[in-house]
Amino acid sequence: MTIWQQETLARQLWTTGKSPIPIYDMHGHMGDSQAIYHKRCQAEEMVKHLKRIGVTRLVFSHMDALAGIMRNAEVLEICKRYPDILRMYIAINPHHPEYIKEDLAAFKKFQPYAVGLKFLPAYHKVAVTAPAYEYALKFADEHALPVLFHTWGNIPENNGKVMLETVQKYSRLKFFIAHCIYGEWDYAERCVKESNGNVWLELTAIPGVRGLVEKLVGQVGSERLLFGTDMPWFDEYQAVGGILAARISEEDRHNILYRNVENILGRNF
Amino acid sequence: MEEMFFFDANCRIGNGPFGVHPGVDGLLAEMDIFGIDKALVRCNDADQLSAQAFNREISRMVKSDLSGRLTGVWCILPEQCPELPPPEEFFAQMRTNRIGAITLFPKAHGFMASKLSLGKILGEAAERKIPVMLYNCYRNEEFVYNFLAEFPNLTAILNAGNKWGTDRTLRPLLEHYENVYLETSGYWVPEGIRDLAEIYGAERLIYGSGFPTFDYGSSMLQLKYSGLPDDAVRKIAGGNLQNLLKGCDL
Repeated sequence: MTIWQQETLARQLWTTGKSPIPIYDMHGHMGDSQAIYHKRCQAEEMVKHLKRIGVTRLVFSHMDALAGIMRNAEVLEICKRYPDILRMYIAINPHHPEYIKEDLAAFKKFQPYAVGLKFLPAYHKVAVTAPAYEYALKFADEHALPVLFHTWGNIPENNGKVMLETVQKYSRLKFFIAHCIYGEWDYAERCVKESNGNVWLELTAIPGVRGLVEKLVGQVGSERLLFGTDMPWFDEYQAVGGILAARISEEDRHNILYRNVENILGRNF
Repeated sequence: MEEMFFFDANCRIGNGPFGVHPGVDGLLAEMDIFGIDKALVRCNDADQLSAQAFNREISRMVKSDLSGRLTGVWCILPEQCPELPPPEEFFAQMRTNRIGAITLFPKAHGFMASKLSLGKILGEAAERKIPVMLYNCYRNEEFVYNFLAEFPNLTAILNAGNKWGTDRTLRPLLEHYENVYLETSGYWVPEGIRDLAEIYGAERLIYGSGFPTFDYGSSMLQLKYSGLPDDAVRKIAGGNLQNLLKGCDL
């Protein structure tokens, strides 16, 4: 009997193409990318794709807002057009401190659509430990907000060492560590275990790579993992398929796909 | 949707210089777990092995698969160095050893892939419609473009991805060379398989897992719910590769 024939989440998804449980995709983007052709990178096409499998919420940061050529207020308007599914991170570009101050001063105006902040240190060429991020970090800490940090192993601006230093500095901020510091798995584990219980690892680019989801569940427990796809980079079925294919329990899958997020942000935030 | 026939075009087996990997039994067990019927297999860490060792090892492993579900891929080398048999004999040995396709690793095996070095064997391969597997096209764009310009009539199967979208590189090749096929492992673009099929035809796409780097579940679910009609999905899942292997003159 294949995994698709057993009485599991895998069977339901294989048979119907629709998830019987909520899926919160905690790592999305929107807009064109400099290096990759994306056919489905605007709200309408993205939402169609998300709804096919039954994604409950996508939390995204707009590429143009991260680039500093679009204001977060414009992203808010996009979210308002799709209130049942789109939520946003306030894009933080350390080269535009005036935007950061303005947007965070008006953070309440962005709620409930904005659930936190997004940092992209390697792309902005500013280490997460640099003073340029301090204002936003202190704001997030003061308000116990989630911050999704782009990370990747051995990239100086957001590698394991600087992430560990950062998680140990802020005890209220909710750290969502995107890509699990890809490749520096021991540092990812340390960030969870040597922090104040306020760190979760986000899985974009990991489901589908054989054995990695299992490894991370073994290292930090499924209660510390969040699902994400970098949508419109990666296909939702591909990523969910990677969670289904992993040798983990059904409870683990439920934790990763929705329970952990609901514990942090509430149901249907 | 009834049970679907899956033929995995991108699969590696056996131990290599960099470690222990699933062998024939491990792969077949994994295929059973996910419902994969057949696989086209090559050695792990292929660019660290001599072509002779690669071909010998894959023949040994395919032979040990008594179920007949595995078909092998062999490496080629420049014909001026008589390390491999001449084309006629080489292809006869492929048939005997249940080898269905060929590949090449010019950088690792230290040669230039051109008409001068491979003209006879690839000329023969083109006539016989023997599939030529080009793995890791991502980040080897210059080689792939030059190679296909040199051998435009080959039946070539190009690996499509390494997680990140490769459309800007690969679409021109699909448009220009009618015998080029795209193998989907690592192509994680949202509904990208559907887009490619709608432009170039589902006949031009071939399912691959990328095992053991990638798992089966992610690519299978992605293909099944690519948004294509059932008959197109079935072609990509297994029908196209089956037809290519049956249609070649070995």
